[in-house]
Amino acid sequence: MSRRYDSRTTIFSPEGRLYQVEYAMEAIGNAGSALGILAADGVVLVGEKKVTSKLLQTSRSAEKMYKIDSHVSCAVAGIMSDANILINTARLHAQRYALSYQEPIPVEQLVQSLCDTKQGYTQFGGLRPFGVSFLFAGWDKHHGFQLYMSDPSGNYGGWKAAAVGANSQAAQSMLKQDYKDGLTREEAVALALKVLSKTMDSTSLTAEKLELAEVFLQPGTGEVQYQVCSPDALGKLLAKAGLTQPAPEA
Amino acid sequence: MVGKNCFAIASDRRLGVQLQTIATDFQRVFKIHDKLYIGLSGLATDAQTLYQRLVFRHKLYQLREERDMKPETFASLVSAMLYERRFGPYFCQPVIAGLGENDEPFICTMDCIGAKELAKDFVVSGTSSESLYGACESMYKPNMEPEELFETVSQALMASVDRDCLAGWGGHVFIVTPTEVQERVVKGRMD
Repeated sequence: MSRRYDSRTTIFSPEGRLYQVEYAMEAIGNAGSALGILAADGVVLVGEKKVTSKLLQTSRSAEKMYKIDSHVSCAVAGIMSDANILINTARLHAQRYALSYQEPIPVEQLVQSLCDTKQGYTQFGGLRPFGVSFLFAGWDKHHGFQLYMSDPSGNYGGWKAAAVGANSQAAQSMLKQDYKDGLTREEAVALALKVLSKTMDSTSLTAEKLELAEVFLQPGTGEVQYQVCSPDALGKLLAKAGLTQPAPEA
Repeated sequence: MVGKNCFAIASDRRLGVQLQTIATDFQRVFKIHDKLYIGLSGLATDAQTLYQRLVFRHKLYQLREERDMKPETFASLVSAMLYERRFGPYFCQPVIAGLGENDEPFICTMDCIGAKELAKDFVVSGTSSESLYGACESMYKPNMEPEELFETVSQALMASVDRDCLAGWGGHVFIVTPTEVQERVVKGRMD
């Protein structure tokens, strides 16, 4: 019955649903999770790395976090190849705006334009939607620090704390309980790590399984900084939060 | 101009329309990244637009390759961009200076359609270019330290623009070493 209506993206089902879009969201539900928390002095993004094999070459590039412009970055959940295309589109769009208006693109406009692209794939062309959800973190002079979540349908919303990927429902409800307005960046990091440790499948958290990035204003110059935490610093943070498994007794 | 593990890039500060001086603080030397600068002489609007387009390309390069562009690569990019407009060119002559691999100084200039000219000692462009060639040739010494390089570049620049009615109103000199950048405004004949 519903099978008849889900092979094409561009048609509604009798119940008024777009199955292809929902299937895309299913795909994301199997991918590594990502969390974003808005703090008073910055935005914190944490991601769970799904592929942690000893054989994997850990190059400098991150798996879940990407910089889009100097004042906007994003965390990704879903099909990585789809994400790469969208990130390139976002980067080009941000630079074209900067070239025309000689000022950095406001975060919401960037998110909107990317979501417009995603929406196009749900209405025409006969191509499948992108199987990616994003968490955008950025700063602009109009609205300060912002966090946006977008999904394959092209919907987006501004959030104080959001989660995408595996177990995102559980993470979202935990965030709803524990989030307070006016968190500092450190508190936000601690909260993010705590929530992620509870929702992740593995029993212990190690720095290799996570990626942490923060967007904040550099004290002194006031420039927006996007900093990815090094694995060592991340290990220390995990230990401080009491989340790493204690070393086995000798 | 190349020095010992450093380079200097300088320009005058006049913006004019034939005989009328419009501004005396016009910026002609632009930073691309900490170790790469480009000076653009010629038509002011083309200099500004070309700089904005280069920032566009360099930012995308930085995001994709996660590193700064090497000066040699950048020079090739500028050359390609200028030649794209072979039959309707930007009226600009760039002077590119940067610290490349192992902080080796790199300088080059090109004409307005992208003919690259590399040099080991100095490159010049603008209305006073012939004068500058003479002044630099006589004042240049290899392996100058940053302080001496600054003196030499300032003297050569001031001497040349003083004889050119379309250039002058002070000088803007950048001395770039691997660790820091010194930016100085040189006072000259204000005519």
